[in-house]
Amino acid sequence: MSLLTLTDLTVLRGICPVVDQATLAVASGEVVGLIGPNGAGKTTLMRAALGLLPHGGRSSLDDIPAAQRARNVAWLPQSREIAWPVTVETLVMLGRVPHLSAGQRPSDADRAAVTEALEAMDLITFRSRAATELSGGEQARVLIARALAQQTPLILADEPVAGLDPGHQIATMQAFRTLAAEGTATLVSLHDLGLAARHCDRLVLMDRGRIVAEGRPEFVLKRENLRDTFGITAHLSVGPDGLIFQPLETRR
Amino acid sequence: MNRALIPVLSSLVAILFLVSLLTGPAGFGPGESLRALLSPQSDAITLVMREIRLPRAILAVLVGVSLGLSGAALQGYLRNPLAEPGLIGVSGSAALGAVIALHSGLAASFVLALPLAALTGALISTLLILALAGPRGSSMTLILAGIAISALAGALLSLALNLSPNPFATAETVFWLLGSLADRSFTHVWIALPFMALGWVLLLSLTRPLDALTLGEDAAQSLGIRVDRARLTLIVGIASCVGAATAVAGAIGFVGLVVPHILRPIVGAQPGRLLPASALGGAALVLAADIATRLILPERDLKLGVLMALVGAPLFLHLIYKTRRESL
Repeated sequence: MSLLTLTDLTVLRGICPVVDQATLAVASGEVVGLIGPNGAGKTTLMRAALGLLPHGGRSSLDDIPAAQRARNVAWLPQSREIAWPVTVETLVMLGRVPHLSAGQRPSDADRAAVTEALEAMDLITFRSRAATELSGGEQARVLIARALAQQTPLILADEPVAGLDPGHQIATMQAFRTLAAEGTATLVSLHDLGLAARHCDRLVLMDRGRIVAEGRPEFVLKRENLRDTFGITAHLSVGPDGLIFQPLETRR
Repeated sequence: MNRALIPVLSSLVAILFLVSLLTGPAGFGPGESLRALLSPQSDAITLVMREIRLPRAILAVLVGVSLGLSGAALQGYLRNPLAEPGLIGVSGSAALGAVIALHSGLAASFVLALPLAALTGALISTLLILALAGPRGSSMTLILAGIAISALAGALLSLALNLSPNPFATAETVFWLLGSLADRSFTHVWIALPFMALGWVLLLSLTRPLDALTLGEDAAQSLGIRVDRARLTLIVGIASCVGAATAVAGAIGFVGLVVPHILRPIVGAQPGRLLPASALGGAALVLAADIATRLILPERDLKLGVLMALVGAPLFLHLIYKTRRESL
């Protein structure tokens, strides 16, 4: 079942297309990695898909009213904003906002969802700490937990693992995998191609606003694509530990 | 502390309200005063209680609630603890309207001319700021538009003083600008109350949007919050509150800045929970300051705005000093 379908999605900045006729589908149970060099249009593609930017073409989320959309899709922006020193638990509870009607207090189910998200992100011990006092990587995990607590069938995450230590990078990707096993779909933009290769079912490669390749990681990460979009060479092999990817040299 | 905050603040406001009723140059005893307030006769003491002290205490509460609430809402929306309700230019424009009424002689011709002129000033600046930072604006355009409007209102106000036909009008203007609740009547209460009540309803409806904005505009929007609608609600809410407060009491600063700042740690920094707490805190602060003006220099008519700034600024410096030490 497709949870997100983009058809000829186009975003213009002036007359210059930042996202150029992107067509993409993300189905239930998939972890899809969105990769591409800086400025390729990954963030713009996701924000337009969510209806946060005016765009041409179509996103399947366009027609859903904002309040209901928030129960269908969670968005984890790249900028990690935590404006006030609220507790970690309070912040993660904001993920339950779409599930509460006006003036309603959080129920036991909401608290359970928050606890589950905190556990998934290894944050139980931080529960009553002020979120602004945590380190950058810990704050990133709190914000991921917020998106998880929203318990949506679709998650769009913009570079969620940037700045995390290796253990928590892997744990985050595994959290998306675990959710995928239950049917959740995730579209996640990544710069770490090694993580993308190991943890994504499918990769979508963007360059200058266009989707230039799409498919299984070993197919998308082939030599010509890496040369043409990233300007790098890399080692890619399938061993007993699965797909191993390591960038080697720049070719520019 | 947390859960008891609202009851504690409410009792504080109730106590200060009573003290305000019992404070004044007439020197009646407390029992005598309260009996007179409720008595059906209309002797001198009843008149003083009903026509002078009661409206003054009520106005202190109304102005305090309005300023405290506006400050908390604006800080929450802008995600900046230094925001002050005057920032969007409404108080400056209301003051300009009042000064025009004083200078044109309109204020002398009928009692309501001054507050109505101030409200007109506030309304014009609100329309201007809505045009500039309305549906397609952002928090940044709101701040910039507010600064520009404040500067323009300030310039026109200076012009009015500059070209003032007589020194009495100038003195009157300067004193009015200092802000005070002395010699107000129930007419002032009835003028301000509808606007303030509208403002309170609008601002209190922002509880959830302001909480969600802790995560930034993008994330709040993805949580189903209509950020553009919240901005419009905020502008209209603050304009009604601050415009009405300035119209009846003149320019009173620091309440909207200091009160949310003091109460924020107690409510666990949640912008939504800060709204009702700040409203009550503002009422308590304005009541206390207004009582103080009557106790410190009873015969010199110490202005509320002056006292507030004298108390507020050092308090604010202390708070900054404390947060600086904590962040080290």
